[in-house]
Amino acid sequence: MSAPNPGGPTTGKDTTVPETKPSPLLGVEGLHVAYGDRKVVHDVGFTLARGGSLALIGESGSGKSTIAKAVLRLLQPAEASVGGSVRLAGTEVLSLPERQFRALRGRQLGFIPQDPGSALNPVRSIGTQAHEAAALTGERDAAVRRRIILEVFEQVGLPDPVRVYDSYPHQLSGGMLQRVLIALTVLPRPSLIVADEPTSALDVTVQKLILDLLGDLRKELDIGLLLITHDLAIAAERADTLVVLKDGAVQEQGPAAQVFAAPRTDYARNLQADVPALNPDRYRSQRTGAPQDTLQRTWQDSASQDVATQDGTTADSTTADATTADRPAQIAVTDVTKSFRTRGKEVRAVDGVSFAVERGRTHALVGESGSGKTTAVRLLLGLEQPDSGTITVGGHSTAGLTRAGLRDVRRHLQLVYQNPFTSLDPTWRVGRIIREPLDRFGVGSTADRDHRVREALQSVGLPDDASDRRPAQLSGGQRQRVAIARALVVRPDVVVLDEPTSALDVSVQAGILELLARLQRDLGLTYVFVSHDLALVRQMADTVSVLRRGQVVEHGTVDQVFDRPQHPYTRALLDAIPGTSGLASPAMADAPAEHRHIPKLAEAAV
Amino acid sequence: MTSGYGRFALARAGQAAVVVLLAYVLTFLVISVLPGDAITNSLRDPQSGLSEADIQRIVQYYGLDQPVLVQLALSLGRFLTGELGFSLQSNLPVAQIVGDALPSTLTLASTALAIAVVFAIGIAYGAHYAPPRWAGLLRSIPSFFLSVPNFVIGLVLIELFAFRLHAFTTTDPNSATATLFAAVTLAIPVSAPLAEVLIASLDHESRQEYALVARSRGLDGAQLFARHLVKPSALPSVAMVALIVGELLGGSVITETIFGRDGIGTVVQKAVTGEDQPVLQAVVSLSAVVFVAVNLAADLLTPLLDPRVNVREAANA
Repeated sequence: MSAPNPGGPTTGKDTTVPETKPSPLLGVEGLHVAYGDRKVVHDVGFTLARGGSLALIGESGSGKSTIAKAVLRLLQPAEASVGGSVRLAGTEVLSLPERQFRALRGRQLGFIPQDPGSALNPVRSIGTQAHEAAALTGERDAAVRRRIILEVFEQVGLPDPVRVYDSYPHQLSGGMLQRVLIALTVLPRPSLIVADEPTSALDVTVQKLILDLLGDLRKELDIGLLLITHDLAIAAERADTLVVLKDGAVQEQGPAAQVFAAPRTDYARNLQADVPALNPDRYRSQRTGAPQDTLQRTWQDSASQDVATQDGTTADSTTADATTADRPAQIAVTDVTKSFRTRGKEVRAVDGVSFAVERGRTHALVGESGSGKTTAVRLLLGLEQPDSGTITVGGHSTAGLTRAGLRDVRRHLQLVYQNPFTSLDPTWRVGRIIREPLDRFGVGSTADRDHRVREALQSVGLPDDASDRRPAQLSGGQRQRVAIARALVVRPDVVVLDEPTSALDVSVQAGILELLARLQRDLGLTYVFVSHDLALVRQMADTVSVLRRGQVVEHGTVDQVFDRPQHPYTRALLDAIPGTSGLASPAMADAPAEHRHIPKLAEAAV
Repeated sequence: MTSGYGRFALARAGQAAVVVLLAYVLTFLVISVLPGDAITNSLRDPQSGLSEADIQRIVQYYGLDQPVLVQLALSLGRFLTGELGFSLQSNLPVAQIVGDALPSTLTLASTALAIAVVFAIGIAYGAHYAPPRWAGLLRSIPSFFLSVPNFVIGLVLIELFAFRLHAFTTTDPNSATATLFAAVTLAIPVSAPLAEVLIASLDHESRQEYALVARSRGLDGAQLFARHLVKPSALPSVAMVALIVGELLGGSVITETIFGRDGIGTVVQKAVTGEDQPVLQAVVSLSAVVFVAVNLAADLLTPLLDPRVNVREAANA
């Protein structure tokens, strides 16, 4: 079970630890994992003290989840070979027979998975699955187990525990399911919890609540936490020790404050620079090319007129004639309402929403799931017709258009979709994907189209030969570049960006944002930027509308909304940005004094 | 749930009844458009030994002197009151002929179904939890089962177990052991598609994150299989079982012939060769009833297995 590199120098710094000092809760040494011939984890080592917290940070492919599964021994022996040493409270677990290791699962080692929506069996009730966790306490009486389960449901803040107990997973929200999973994990009082991206599938405000809960329970029950995350801000806020991983090897490790505030390696530095929350002004200068205050003043002029509309004085003031001639509104959405009927109930997905976007600017629609932002985008694209209100794009109303008219609007209004892994036809080559809109709209001659495809590829920073590849041969970032090229090839005026980076790693995200900012400056594009990530919005947008249950609760310039939020919901959203609310975090409260300057630093940055 | 489920069950049962009636009508029309007037032919056959009065009675009973649609109405009316008419060959009531043959076939088919389900679960479980070498072998079994015709299996089993090992005798085809071997013959090709569906859905389910999380709670392979994987994997299999019943009905004709059993298969064979229209009509309708009933059972079981199925929406579908 020793590291399979006999020729190389051994890592011999910690080899004598277990005998002399009290053994740490978790000690990983010289860990290697290979899937077949492909080595994905190289010589990884770290230790986690009893009751401590450690975060493994890295992007997709960095091996962080593989390390977590190796520690939990959840890798299939047929698929992965694991070498090295993993000690849990002094006991070597990698060489333990399965039967003995199984006794540790749940009781000593808890696991909180990434996506709560798929982590519970969909055809069994929550209660029956909870009994499996309760059985680990050794309690034989089912009635007593039920009481324990209801108690722990109460403890994790689930309203109406009995109803949750009787529910099936599909009847609960993602946040509630993650609470259930945390409840089941802490119920047998393990000494270590491995949490694999526990909040990346949740809305920001829910994310904060879940991380707070996890921190509180950890402190209360003295549980060690191994947190797997791609989000440096979350890691720094919630863990004492950070381990930065790249390509399966440790880049840097140390106390959270040190790694976060003064990263030693270039990789960690870049990772830090790419976190939107920490660098709110990153794209500002290159995006507009204009001094910030001029821009702001110009917007405030039109914003005040916009407010006038909201008060109901003049209905048409937001459209082109309201603003000055040199800054006509490219998009004007006025008092738009759209309802859907589901199961006999009428739901107002979008309720009296108004906003206007000037040519060459970026307007952000911010909100959590169910806020109506998706419906707003569908209305804008003409995929749905509003029940009332008007939408004009470039001065033309999109309502009541014929098919041909809609097609014309769509040509000037392109969409970049959230997930580049599903939005590109896997059987098509990149060239054909980008060319498709040209063929559809019958733009130019054949030679013309070839030229424009090449031009679009170049403009998004892809090599010419990329046009012969298929999506599967491209990385996530490259795929999103293809999606952007496809949107740009018809030379639209407006691009709707629907969470364009939420499926991407943070460093890849930074590249895409940089590209979008450059394209906007070069081509004078108008962006409608849909996101739940406020930090990202602050980096990208000029103006913002905060949506909640279909209504705009607050709107204005980014600086107004972020510096002086008026609505409590906006404040809650802002508080939920990781890296900005460290003072309130339980993980921080008990951290050594040296760690505490992180929140201040983060605050100063935002 | 209960009242919603009750309405869903009623709606589905209603649909099933309509399907049975349509099947009856269709069978009747198909038989009546076949060339040759079957009933009149056999009645006029001098060998039937029927008197003119008898013939007159029968013609009146079936409405043979009236248009097809009237005959259909008469026939359907009798079917609805449970009267199946009389065999043209033996003059016995059809209900009696079918009733005599049915227990043998039902025993054979239900035993075969039970064996097929056990085979399929065993193969699927083994394909998942046996050591890799055996698992690979088990995975290839379904395609082997499918590629061997069941009369070959039957003949091999008779040769081996009846003639060499004397486990049963072919002269007493209704003994328990003989029934068991006949059922195995019928079960083997039928278990193959079921095993394949089960293996595929087990593969799918065991890759789901909840299986990983359940393992992290300390469940071993057998517990994971029994508590977590069986139920979701059973969902596609339940639909498969409903389809398999059709194969069992068809396969039983061949198996009964090989093993010399008197069952529905034999009745069908005689009825087809003798152009015995009332018997044919009854047997085809009976098959439709069985097929529809099994599919109805599968339909009614699905919402009980899968809480995500919305019975209210399903009832309106």
